[in-house]
Amino acid sequence: MKLLSPLPSIWGRALVFLLLVVLVAAGFTIAEPRYLSHASLSGIARHMAANGLAALGLTFVVVVRKFDLSIAGVAAFTAMTMGAVIAAGYPLWAAVAIGIVTGGLIGMVSGVAISRFGMPDIVTTIATGSVCAGLAFLYTGGRSIFQNFFTSGITDLNDARFLGLGVSLWFLVAVYAAAWFVMHRTRTGHAFYAAGENPVAAHYSGIQVKNYVVLAYVLCAVCTVLAVLLILAESGNAETNKGANLMMPAYAGVFLGAAMMAGTSVLATFAGILLITMLLDGFSLLGVPYYYSDGVVSLILLMGVVAFSGFARNWASSFAVFFRGSGRTNNKREWQE
Amino acid sequence: MGTPILQASGVSKRFGPVMALTGVDFRVEAGEIHALLGINGAGKSTFIKILSGIIQKDSGSIRIAGKNVHFRGPNDAIGAGIATVQQHPELVPDMSGLDNIFLGRESAGRSLFARVDRQALEKRAKALLARFSVPLDLSKPVAQMPAVEREAVAVLQAIASDDIKVLILDEPTSTLTEVEREDLFRLMRQLRAQGISMIYITHQLEEVFAIADSFSVFRNGTCVARMSVEEARRQDQSLATLMLGEEIGDVFPARPEGLEIGETVLSLKGFGSAGAFRNIHLEARKGEVVGIFGLVGSGAEELAKAVYGVQPAEEGEMVLKGRTLAPKSPREALDAGIFLVPGDRRTEGLTLTRSPLFNVPLANLKRASGGGWMLRRRQVRQDASEITRAMALHPPSLTTAASDFSGGNQQKLVLAKGLYREADLYIFVEPTVGVDIGARAKIYALIRELSLRAAVIVFSSDCDEVNGVADRTIAMHKGRQVDPGPEGFTRDQLLMAGIMGELHA
Repeated sequence: MKLLSPLPSIWGRALVFLLLVVLVAAGFTIAEPRYLSHASLSGIARHMAANGLAALGLTFVVVVRKFDLSIAGVAAFTAMTMGAVIAAGYPLWAAVAIGIVTGGLIGMVSGVAISRFGMPDIVTTIATGSVCAGLAFLYTGGRSIFQNFFTSGITDLNDARFLGLGVSLWFLVAVYAAAWFVMHRTRTGHAFYAAGENPVAAHYSGIQVKNYVVLAYVLCAVCTVLAVLLILAESGNAETNKGANLMMPAYAGVFLGAAMMAGTSVLATFAGILLITMLLDGFSLLGVPYYYSDGVVSLILLMGVVAFSGFARNWASSFAVFFRGSGRTNNKREWQE
Repeated sequence: MGTPILQASGVSKRFGPVMALTGVDFRVEAGEIHALLGINGAGKSTFIKILSGIIQKDSGSIRIAGKNVHFRGPNDAIGAGIATVQQHPELVPDMSGLDNIFLGRESAGRSLFARVDRQALEKRAKALLARFSVPLDLSKPVAQMPAVEREAVAVLQAIASDDIKVLILDEPTSTLTEVEREDLFRLMRQLRAQGISMIYITHQLEEVFAIADSFSVFRNGTCVARMSVEEARRQDQSLATLMLGEEIGDVFPARPEGLEIGETVLSLKGFGSAGAFRNIHLEARKGEVVGIFGLVGSGAEELAKAVYGVQPAEEGEMVLKGRTLAPKSPREALDAGIFLVPGDRRTEGLTLTRSPLFNVPLANLKRASGGGWMLRRRQVRQDASEITRAMALHPPSLTTAASDFSGGNQQKLVLAKGLYREADLYIFVEPTVGVDIGARAKIYALIRELSLRAAVIVFSSDCDEVNGVADRTIAMHKGRQVDPGPEGFTRDQLLMAGIMGELHA
């Protein structure tokens, strides 16, 4: 019996999201008309592709109610690994394959340590991330890798277009479509959510909870590698700080999306990361230094989460008592025993 | 009779379009134990939440010892002398029992840095504990305590405040064994002798006659009767009739005539697990319900979990449908054809945040995806709706979060998961804890129905439940199995066997 509908329905939420997109776009366009230029929009699309992939990876981890703070480290190490493979003259596909395997293995280490050995997720991923950040210096001692980049074909991932849109955007859409199908239309996705929301009940239902935690970390690391690949393609070289700017937008995208859409899901992450990328690119177009724009986006993330959460509404309504002088409404829906 | 210690008049509360309470008149006299009865949804919980300040009434008045009071929050209620032990007490798991009892009032000083006098606390705790004849190690973290001891800590926490005039106990016995229940009753009588009145919520009707002085019955959001236990006994008043507003038959379904006992599904030979149970010999056959009566600590729950692979057994043999099996996880047990309806449905049974549509297929995703990978959503919806309709799930919604269902209906949802699984052996652990009498009859009927096509074992610490629902009963005591003679156990023999470990006392 749903007696109260304290939060808007999914359509209402989608409408709020569209409104926010229009507002953000309008705001930046007024401040800087070039925001809607072709160059700016295709920039947003490219950044959206990289940010979106990292955020998608994080989505799996958040679905199993864990955190992954190794994203930046994994990004740095796999960037240099792929760079080194390309520089050594191997074909692009080999570099990508080695990058994905490397990332997957790191994800597996984190996942196994957390699920099998009961290590705390935050501590574990800070550790694996730091190790990776150090390993990134292994190949060149920190110098940039650019040899063979322009002949390897990696830059095509950034430059090539299909039906008028950059291939990286198509790639993003394809990966999201696949992820959406797995998470929301298959038994794997069903088990994923069950493992995250009540691991004990999932275990009693025959779901191998630990395997899903490991899988989440592996998928997160692999998605990070794919994001890094697009960043390498855009910049044309590999550096140890590649991907340092992936983590904050990823978290912001996942949690803002979850707050807007009332739950973590593939589409919620897509919505969240679109807004975040629009903001970040807008700020950089206005010439706002990244350390300010990161701050602003983080602030927006916090406000968004607070504004959309049911808890915040209860909290706010408790203040209303002072003004109305009547009883507080209690949104807890458990009153029917 | 003097002024009632607590008197509510015309209390109403509305949730959205639904009137949860309409004009409730209710009173508790000084120094009495007053039972509050009613089926789930009758408004008991809402009323208790108003009395304890968790939610506010829309209209009506509450007087304590003749003085009008208005609660804006739980602290107001405690300040006025009303303490509550919630049904699922909220304790800090990592803190010791002692720290939980005095949480927030560790020190008499008001300063943030006032010294906590641990010795004084321990002394106060000992004094409290002396009134409660349950051996309790208060230095242990609450997380390591069994449910029984947690309940005790919650009771101590509630009465540790000074000047408590009315203590509300919301189904305190639902997790207690009969022995421990007696301890609790003893404590309640002591508190009564000290002048504390109690409001006692229970689904166990015989407890009303055992402990209460008077009782009120809630039905459809209003108080329909108030009677002294004396009076009810004199008039031979049926409490169940008062609660339901109609006559009800036996809650336990009769065994259908001509039901034949079929093949042996499960047999345990010398089954044992260190420190929990040993040398268990047991057979479960299709067409019968085996009942196992065991108190907390008897090893009964551990036995159930061992068969289901949660905590694998170490000794002996388990044969399921002719095949030797040693499940090391619920997954292996499920694959072999066993389904367990766990005792703690909130943590072990359901994904509370999700709908029946999410929960029902959870233990059989293979069926939900037709053997493939992609979920057959239309088929799942159809199956789930058929299963839940047959068990009269209320409300009949497939999209409401499981947490919004009553205890009885949550239990039906766990059962629906089991039915969707189509197992050969169903194991029930405490199937009706926190379930009202109407839903209880339905669950017993479902258990009986299941026995027509599968073997069923019911583990319970409620002797009447085991005796009523099972065709064949066994008791467990301190990890040991107590078998009946060739005639089987009578109800009293079963109770004795479970409490004393032997047939004669």
